[in-house]
Amino acid sequence: MSNERTYKRSWKNLLINKRYQLRFTLFMVGVSALLMAALGWWVMQTANEATNVAIGQVRGEPCPKVPDISEPTDAGGDTKPTTPMKLPPDDPPPAPPSDTDDQDLGHHRNVTVTLSSITEVLPPDYAALAAGHWTCVIDHSGKIEELQQGKMRIFYVLLATGTLLAIALAFYGIKTTHKVAGPLYKITLYFNKMRDGRFDKVWPLRKGDQLVAFYDHFRHAHEGVVGMEKADVERLRALIDAAEAAGVAGSSPEVDAALADLKTILARKEKSLA
Amino acid sequence: MPENNDKDELPSATVVKDGKVPGDVPRTPPPPAKRAYKRRWSNYLLDKKLQLRYVLLVTILSALISGSLGYLVYQQEHRASDDIAASLAEQVKSDPATYGDLQKEAVADMKARDEALVLKMIGTGLGLAVILVLYLVVMTHKVAGPLYKVSNHFDQMAAGKLPKIWGLRKGDMLQDFFASFKEMYDANRARMTDDVAAMEKLVAACKAAGVAKSGDLSEELEALEAHVAARKQALS
Repeated sequence: MSNERTYKRSWKNLLINKRYQLRFTLFMVGVSALLMAALGWWVMQTANEATNVAIGQVRGEPCPKVPDISEPTDAGGDTKPTTPMKLPPDDPPPAPPSDTDDQDLGHHRNVTVTLSSITEVLPPDYAALAAGHWTCVIDHSGKIEELQQGKMRIFYVLLATGTLLAIALAFYGIKTTHKVAGPLYKITLYFNKMRDGRFDKVWPLRKGDQLVAFYDHFRHAHEGVVGMEKADVERLRALIDAAEAAGVAGSSPEVDAALADLKTILARKEKSLA
Repeated sequence: MPENNDKDELPSATVVKDGKVPGDVPRTPPPPAKRAYKRRWSNYLLDKKLQLRYVLLVTILSALISGSLGYLVYQQEHRASDDIAASLAEQVKSDPATYGDLQKEAVADMKARDEALVLKMIGTGLGLAVILVLYLVVMTHKVAGPLYKVSNHFDQMAAGKLPKIWGLRKGDMLQDFFASFKEMYDANRARMTDDVAAMEKLVAACKAAGVAKSGDLSEELEALEAHVAARKQALS
């Protein structure tokens, strides 16, 4: 039969000494959260600054211009500035149109507009220029969008890392402190037995537990008290045997009472060591 | 002796201070003096393994977080500097005379700022680490201290001694554990004291009855007397 009792850690009873374990775990989580928050804020500030600089740079890159359609360009070189049309001095100004005017065919003026005068103001590579301009504008917008997304990505990565770190640390902290709280809890159980006068066998700690040296001190203390009890038992048994052999019972009521007390004590001590 | 009597009747003048005369005896006896312990920096690391383990864990973790986030800060700052430098380089290409010196000055300034940032971060990190380590040593000492104290009591118990023990210092942790230990210790001490009293009582009763003048019983009673004396020594 093996002397070693095997214990298994279970998640249910990881928090044995709440005060101690939570204090150390929360401290660890708190420090990490504080650092993550403070430095994360700093990261976001600089990321914001860097993003703004990058956006400024993107906006500063000029895109090829598209000639304005409403204004004539010099590209063709054959356009003439428009001049206001002047009426001959002896011609009266045109009267507002009326039903009677239609019948007065003698006062009509004719204006001839040729399509070639309009199409001539557009440069021949207008389509390519417009496409280049708008491609550049869209490209810039995309870059700016990407930069802003990059900034937000940093924020989400920081947030997720911080949250995961806090959760992982909380579990790790509780598990680590459990390796200290576990032996203390075990020793407390032995304390309760010793307080009630029961000196059972002290079993070793589980694998991975901390406070091994401290537990050894306790084992020696336990052995010390057991040794004292055994010495008492030995002494009392020898005395009671000698007293019975000498037939002191009945010699005086005090001796009888004291002997009875010692027998009770002996019985108690023997039981406690069993 | 008349002279002495006169002296008793006419005591010499004394200075009353705070409503008390020197030599006044307080009405109630003072409480038993508690042994005062003072924390000292020299013995803050009582259980190196236990304490340093936690201290190193938290410090390394903090260093990792600070290091990685600090690197991110530096990277972002450096990226901004690079962008500005690139932009200025473009300007220099178009007009070297106007922007040449400005670019050099700005690049040098940004480099100096980036370096200062790194130094600032390293300084802050180291300062933080020192503060954290000191605080953690103090914090873990509040656990290691009670364990050390209980260990000493364990050693006394191992040597067969059960002297009177004192409580923990204010601010110590593991108060519940120590209370449990003290309860056990006091219970055993009280039981031993009662047992010793019972043994003493038998020795006295036998002596009074004159039943142990010779023989085995006499030897046993002598041995018991020595045992009682040893126990009393152990309990004192």
